[in-house]
Amino acid sequence: MSKTWHVALHEYSRHVFNKRFLLGLLSVPFVIILMVGLIFLIVAMETDARPVGYVDFSGILADPVPPPEIEPPDKPVEFRPYADESAAMAALDHGEIQAYYVIPEDYLETGTLSVVHAEALKDGPRYQFYDFLAVNLLRDTDPAIARRIVESDEVIVQSADGSRSMSSDSWFNILVPFIAAIAFIIAMFTAGGYLMQAVVEEKENRTMEVLITSVSSNQFMAGKIIGDIAIGLTQILAWIGFVIIGILVGRVKLEFLQGIEIPPQALLLIATILLPALVMVCALMAAIGATVSEAREGQQMTGLISLPIWIPYMLTGIIIGSPNAPIVVALSLFPLTAPLTMLIRQGMTNIPAWQIVASSAIMILSAVGSIWLAGRAFRLGMLRYGKRLKWREIFAKS
Amino acid sequence: MPTVEISHITKTFGPLKAVDDVSFSIEKGELFGLLGPNGAGKTTTIRCMLDIFKPDSGSVAILGGAMSEAKKDHIGYMPEERGLYQDIPLERCLAYLGSLKGLSPSDVKQRSEGYLERFDLAAHKTKKVKELSKGMQQKAQIIATLLHQPELLIVDEPFAGLDPVNTQMVKDLLREQHQQGVTIVLCSHQMNLVEELCDRIVLIDHGKVMLYGGLEDIRHQFSGHAVVVRAEGPLPELKGIERVEPINGSTKLHLAAGMKPQEILKTLVAKDVTLAQFEIAMPTLDEIFIRVVQGEGGEA
Repeated sequence: MSKTWHVALHEYSRHVFNKRFLLGLLSVPFVIILMVGLIFLIVAMETDARPVGYVDFSGILADPVPPPEIEPPDKPVEFRPYADESAAMAALDHGEIQAYYVIPEDYLETGTLSVVHAEALKDGPRYQFYDFLAVNLLRDTDPAIARRIVESDEVIVQSADGSRSMSSDSWFNILVPFIAAIAFIIAMFTAGGYLMQAVVEEKENRTMEVLITSVSSNQFMAGKIIGDIAIGLTQILAWIGFVIIGILVGRVKLEFLQGIEIPPQALLLIATILLPALVMVCALMAAIGATVSEAREGQQMTGLISLPIWIPYMLTGIIIGSPNAPIVVALSLFPLTAPLTMLIRQGMTNIPAWQIVASSAIMILSAVGSIWLAGRAFRLGMLRYGKRLKWREIFAKS
Repeated sequence: MPTVEISHITKTFGPLKAVDDVSFSIEKGELFGLLGPNGAGKTTTIRCMLDIFKPDSGSVAILGGAMSEAKKDHIGYMPEERGLYQDIPLERCLAYLGSLKGLSPSDVKQRSEGYLERFDLAAHKTKKVKELSKGMQQKAQIIATLLHQPELLIVDEPFAGLDPVNTQMVKDLLREQHQQGVTIVLCSHQMNLVEELCDRIVLIDHGKVMLYGGLEDIRHQFSGHAVVVRAEGPLPELKGIERVEPINGSTKLHLAAGMKPQEILKTLVAKDVTLAQFEIAMPTLDEIFIRVVQGEGGEA
């Protein structure tokens, strides 16, 4: 095994088999479970599953068709018929039902009905009763048409060339690339942070002097960058794994998870923009580590990279509203803002091919340039104890 | 062919000339002392020797030529400022540093276990380095330096932080390496140990070579300023004596400038003093070091 791989393996195992990293890794499924749990809790709080009564003077519900099936996390509500209002009121007083509807004789003419309740009726039982009423109003209609009316319309927007379409039911597909980009950026900074910290520590505890009499600075830096990219990818792959498991488990119960698909263009952007971005951030963090004299100083300098990377997140409204505006295109071509901008745009528009090619080329060149920068900063700064390396020294002619 | 040959190297950092026209060579199998006060340019010289720094001028040949990546596997370097990974267990730290010197995992395991036993660290090998005492870390650093059985060993202050028992252990280890034919460059402020171990030395001060050569030759070069005398009865009053120092039943007479030992002997004989001992006092390396650093004695 070459020394580069020894360095990479050491760097990888030192951080990955560490409690702090594992906690960070598990925090994502924990947050997902927490969020899903909260959704269920909120829905459960919005649903009162006690029966709802009705007094039908119109005859619509004389021989009722059962209500449509209810999907979790909603709970089905039983609808009980009463012959008159006094019987319904008695049931309400005894707590047998939470409310009752009165459907007047002229309901079909007026479209008006009334509801009697002790406490305000929640959305869940109210909408379930409307659906129950709707299926009974449409009982003589073609069942397919009746179902479409009950389920309401779905507007599908399709691109002119037919390559892409989007509907209100596939909103999650827009979110997926966006979430992927954010996860990638978090992983980038985790891995890059480890790299910067490791380089500063090796300077601080003087390990550097021993290391560079064993390996060349290029081998050492290459090994470190490879190791830390592997850390970032481990984190991302583990999170993707958790998300896939979450979707596979959740889609059994949650309808909106059933239509999830990752657009091929998003995968292309992940490969050609996010991966070079990961390399670029790791290398830049290594360069920072090599130039500073202590970890705290390095963390302050990290802001110079992290701030521009998060700018598109702050401009999400503009990017979604005008995904092809000149400023958005400019952000797509600037190395530090390209990752998030391109992935947000991807969900909203058909990005022209030339922009994908240009942005990818810029990202790859930036990654290569950052590695060169890190190597040079490392060679010049590795033995600077207690004194910061000036950036102009890095770019000065050797 | 010398193992290390340094010819007229100069290294400047901004306005500071850290190394100024330094030349010396170290023969194969030699135990060589590199001495100098703090800030004299020793570490910069070592870094130039190891190709960590490129000298501004002059040349360095090591193990028969310019430094290469392959040669790094044949050199063991223990810097003055120790460097071990603090947050990992000792055995893992040694395994990593050994792997960077081209050792296989089985070689690292076998060799490190031997050294860990010898240095009483076997029971601590699973502890994190930061949990070890300063002395233990020092010993661990020595193990990391020797693990790959280097041909050239450069140790900077290897006795710092060690108690007398461990100092003796490291001394024995250096002698053992020396007997096995390893070329050793020893940097130390503990002159008695350098005197005990080294055959030749170079003394650098303000970036320049002040003394260079065989230890005995240098001591002879600096002798003649004192004589050790033991007489039956008290010594008479003598002219040309700067200071009188009693040493274990004898008397060390420090001579004034211009006074020669022969003249003292002549005076003592003339005064009919019965002498049991009269010898020219050889200065210790410590004394030579102080005299050179304080401005006495010429450049080599």
